Amino acid sequence: MPDDYSPGSREDFDRLYQVAYPRVYRTLTALLSDPAAAEDCAQDAFVQAYHAWSRWRPDAPAEAWVHRIAVNRAISYRRSAKLRTVAEVLRRLGRPASPPDPAEHAARSDLLDALGALPPKLAAAIVLRHYHGYNNREIAAALGVSERTIGTRLRQAGERLRQALEPSFSLEAPSAFQADSPELYVKD
Amino acid sequence: MSKTDHDALDPLLEARLRAELSAVRPPSSPPRYTTAAAPIRAWRFAPVALAIAFTGILALTAFAATGSPNPAVWTNRVETVINPPSPTPSSQSEPAESESPVAPTAVPAHRPPAPPTEGPEPTGSPEHESPEPTDDHESPNPSPSPANSASDDH
Repeated sequence: MPDDYSPGSREDFDRLYQVAYPRVYRTLTALLSDPAAAEDCAQDAFVQAYHAWSRWRPDAPAEAWVHRIAVNRAISYRRSAKLRTVAEVLRRLGRPASPPDPAEHAARSDLLDALGALPPKLAAAIVLRHYHGYNNREIAAALGVSERTIGTRLRQAGERLRQALEPSFSLEAPSAFQADSPELYVKD
Repeated sequence: MSKTDHDALDPLLEARLRAELSAVRPPSSPPRYTTAAAPIRAWRFAPVALAIAFTGILALTAFAATGSPNPAVWTNRVETVINPPSPTPSSQSEPAESESPVAPTAVPAHRPPAPPTEGPEPTGSPEHESPEPTDDHESPNPSPSPANSASDDH
């Protein structure tokens, strides 16, 4: 990944968007289990990053910096979504809830559902490590915590993910997803 | 990719995660940052807000102090407080003029000065002052009393 960006350069930010947006979007999809919310948060994160682009320091990878903004945005979204859910439950108190859409339910992956059920900080550590290929130091820089904390989060997240997928865990990917060539984050 | 860190996830699960996330296609929507306006920073308006708040507090205080919403009244009140009107000579001379007709008639030229306790009384009428010399034992010529005393002595 080229990291020769100049802070404040519009052309460099456009380049960063082209490279990082799909990856950030996938991270947020794993965190939020909602494509529309993931797109909204990813766009918001890039807007926020664009306004702070002149203050970006090249000592950290630009994509990790955007990831940090995006994960924080997803955490805020999840928090407000919880409040909205509580308000919706109170509003519909006494009335039966509408049944879920079967087509949407069939298209969803149990793995992504399990990731979305994890706390966002744990899910972000899993995705950055096992999908984007960051090492602990890069995850620590992206999330703004220590490497020791990242190790703890990875262990907790792996354990909780295994427990959630224990009945249905299998090697086969669901047919709804067509495996593409994985975008590996080759750093070292 | 560095694999020096401890892998907490099962390799099979990791493979599934990669496959499923790679299959996610981001929507081809235009980047929002190209049309987003620069954020309005609230602190830029802080001096204006501070000035408005200060003016409002000042106006309320002036209204409460003067009881009038008219700024001209506030200004007059401030001028009155800062520069109070100096007492005019006419106001000082008024009591003297009021006492002037009384003083020559009430107090004789030879009358000794009144004691300090009787200070406020000269403002009174001459009728009230006329009996005082009779009570005054230092009066030089109370005509009836020497005669009476001499007759009593004899």
